[in-house]
Amino acid sequence: MAEHKILTEFEGIKDSRSLKTYLKHGGYQALAKAFQKKPEEIVALVKESGLRGRGGAGFPTGLKWSFIPAHIKERYLLCNNDEGEPGTFKDRYILELSPHMLIEGMIISAFAIGAHKAYIYTRCEFYEEIKWMNEAIDEAYKAGYLGKNILGSGFDFDLDHYIGAGAYICGEETGLISSLEGKKGQPKVKPPFPAVAGYLGKPTIVNNTETLAVVPWIVNHGASAYKAIGTEKSAGTKLFCISGPVKKPGVYEVPLGYPLKDFIEKEAGGLRDGVELKGVIPGGLSAPVLLPEEVEKVTLDYESMASFKSMLGSGAIIVIPKTQCMVELLKVTLDFYHHESCGQCTPCREGTGWLANIMKTVMQAKAKEDCYDKMYEVASHMEGRTICALSDAAAMPTKAIITKFKSELLNYLRRG
Amino acid sequence: MGTVETKEEVTFKLNGIDVTVPKGTTVMAAAKREKVAIPHFCWHPGLSVAGVCRFCMVKVKGRPKLEISCNLEATPGMEVDTVSDEVKDSHKWALEFHLANHPLDCPICDQAGECGLQKYYMSVGKYNSQMTEEKVLKPKALDVGDKLVLDTERCILCSRCVRFENEVTKTGGLGIFDRGDRAIIGTYGDEKITHNYQENLVDICPVGAFTSKEFRFKQRVWFLKEKSSICPGCSTGCAVSIHAKPEMETYFRVKPRYDKKVNGHWMCDKGREILSGLDKKERLENSYLQDQDEFSTCERPDMINHLNSLLSRFRGKKISLLVSAQYTNEEYERLFSFFVEKMGVRSIFQWRSKEEKLNDFDGILLRGDRNPNTRGLLDALRKFHILKEVENEFEACLTSSSDLIFAFSPLLSSSFSSFEEDLARLSKLKSCVCLFTTSYQARDYIGFNSLIPLVSFPEKTGHYTNYKGEKRELEGAYPSFIHEGFDVCELVNELDSNIKASLRA
Repeated sequence: MAEHKILTEFEGIKDSRSLKTYLKHGGYQALAKAFQKKPEEIVALVKESGLRGRGGAGFPTGLKWSFIPAHIKERYLLCNNDEGEPGTFKDRYILELSPHMLIEGMIISAFAIGAHKAYIYTRCEFYEEIKWMNEAIDEAYKAGYLGKNILGSGFDFDLDHYIGAGAYICGEETGLISSLEGKKGQPKVKPPFPAVAGYLGKPTIVNNTETLAVVPWIVNHGASAYKAIGTEKSAGTKLFCISGPVKKPGVYEVPLGYPLKDFIEKEAGGLRDGVELKGVIPGGLSAPVLLPEEVEKVTLDYESMASFKSMLGSGAIIVIPKTQCMVELLKVTLDFYHHESCGQCTPCREGTGWLANIMKTVMQAKAKEDCYDKMYEVASHMEGRTICALSDAAAMPTKAIITKFKSELLNYLRRG
Repeated sequence: MGTVETKEEVTFKLNGIDVTVPKGTTVMAAAKREKVAIPHFCWHPGLSVAGVCRFCMVKVKGRPKLEISCNLEATPGMEVDTVSDEVKDSHKWALEFHLANHPLDCPICDQAGECGLQKYYMSVGKYNSQMTEEKVLKPKALDVGDKLVLDTERCILCSRCVRFENEVTKTGGLGIFDRGDRAIIGTYGDEKITHNYQENLVDICPVGAFTSKEFRFKQRVWFLKEKSSICPGCSTGCAVSIHAKPEMETYFRVKPRYDKKVNGHWMCDKGREILSGLDKKERLENSYLQDQDEFSTCERPDMINHLNSLLSRFRGKKISLLVSAQYTNEEYERLFSFFVEKMGVRSIFQWRSKEEKLNDFDGILLRGDRNPNTRGLLDALRKFHILKEVENEFEACLTSSSDLIFAFSPLLSSSFSSFEEDLARLSKLKSCVCLFTTSYQARDYIGFNSLIPLVSFPEKTGHYTNYKGEKRELEGAYPSFIHEGFDVCELVNELDSNIKASLRA
């Protein structure tokens, strides 16, 4: 499936991260093109392309950009490179292949929204990627793509790289902003939304790495070329990262709307020999698990995933083999959210702990059979009740696992 | 409303009823005004919106999810529901989450009786708890300030205290440490909270996390009566309520009342000390007078007779008043109408603290003028054509060669550091001095002609005028437990009627 190589264009190319290579392959030409346009034309172009946020929520990018109030001139662009959703390793791949693609995308996006300062927020565990990104930023400054009067356009733009401390919650856009402001990484109550009052109280756009990196391609090839890829409502390609017992785990770029089954079979080479499929978590740990019969039918786009009551999320596909104990899976899932809840909102703070605690009693064979019903009810009341989506992220997979694997969970209890 | 509202207004529906509020009003604030109860913990009208307790959920017609009403601006035509089953279920569950790790130690908790968790359990809870798992244990009985005890296990992490520290005192003394259900409120390192507004943290804490060292374990709150009064601790004159147990003849605590123009929601810790001189053992309980070289107690009628005879004996002589700025407008009015108008007294002296720093202000509430009614005193004098500036005229009074001095001492002797020294000097005057006071210390100065016990501020009604001219009422009076205590107005009325009678005779 090498039909569309937008984000993975530099796959297999030697010295792909260097500016020299990037320029040889037409790098920073989109930037020159962008400077020929008015900022609002670029916003319109991105709107028209149908590009949706690649961090998980799938919010239309151009629409997000257009929420900035016209009268406030101090604005910020933040790149969410925290990539904390368990199972996700696709943004780091962009930094591995071509950090300049992200830099170019950020300059164009900043120009479009009128920001003169941007930060990339990267999780601290990405040791190599941090180094590569820093090198690329240095190169870009030296070559005049960053700094004052870029390419003689009169546009000034500074880009900084900020390294987070590894909290899942800092990948939530307002949690990220709090962290960048030097505060405890906690999401902020909305409204106001970041586009109105974000970083330092100024209009701020937070976009995922993949979202920003695709912008140069859209400027180069036009909105309709991008929209022609994928489905009607889910335009373009996306990076999917697959893990679990498949023959070729890794990151693959496919058009949205691509069948999940084909993705597993063709891109990832199918399941390892002798492995039977139990289910697939299609969009990072917080996406509700799909059963094999659902995996047969679902396609990799926002709408199809929603119709199966799951979500495309970050594009992290976790393949679960038949031999996986779902009680253990649920336990580690809930331990994760219990550990990562920031503790601000009561339903999440208490709910994540409560659910994890019940799972502890299950593992210790101290739980009663109605414990799963209780968990389902607790989870139901955590959903949609908090500032950010972490509470939902804990509740959704819990409910899905309880619904779809109830008999296995009960058998675990009966086994004693 | 009498004032002209120029602000834009919006009308929305709250449980089907049209409500009109100024633009920008939140649904929570509008509901509070309309007396529609929406349960909440983290929202406080004097602090910024945190939106973290997730208790105040309401349903807006046409929107998929429930929303918190504290951060929901009312917009025209919006239809808000606070009573449907869906909303009620959200309230019940929000409470269940709040109580999941709460220790439920109400029988030994000082907050019992005025606890948000108890209150809401009765109004929106009443469920059987499903929490059978082990609870999270957290540090208890922490000494975090000289007036505060913190129990982090009872804490529901509403962050009111953290916001108070950041926004009101701007001392930033508290933070939330760790995360998830391990999160706890605390000070930084070994630091303690030392500012003068600590007890507000106890007031705004909706549960028993912050309790007052002073009040802890003294009394169950449901035994307390409350009466509205004004703090006499300084010229700000904060609106307060005095909590007492009249049958025990004991005052227990002072809490601030909301007054938009004076103190907002807060009061200072100094103001909480105003009850300290009001214990029976610290009060002058009986009248004393010099009788044949003996300074001894007397009954009320004897004192009135004594004062009457003094007034007739000193008629035509120089009578002076030495007055502190701690009496009500009504008391001044009555005093001056009798002494100035009727008795022709013209020499009136202000009695103020020697070390007073009149212009001090802590930037929040506490002012250097530690008298509640400096302005009221000057206003009253002006009414009787005596024009004065604020000045301590104690020395002038002593050297005024008066024949008879009626000295109205400060009722809150703690606001005069030189009070005892002043008493000593007054009592040694050859001229006859009648001291009107609440302080038992006066008994030790046996040189006074007479000592007249007074009722104090929680025991009287009337008004103070604060530093910027706001008149505020001491609304409710507890029966004085100083049974021989005089009310200034009543006493003057008696003297007045006796004078009338003697003139007629």
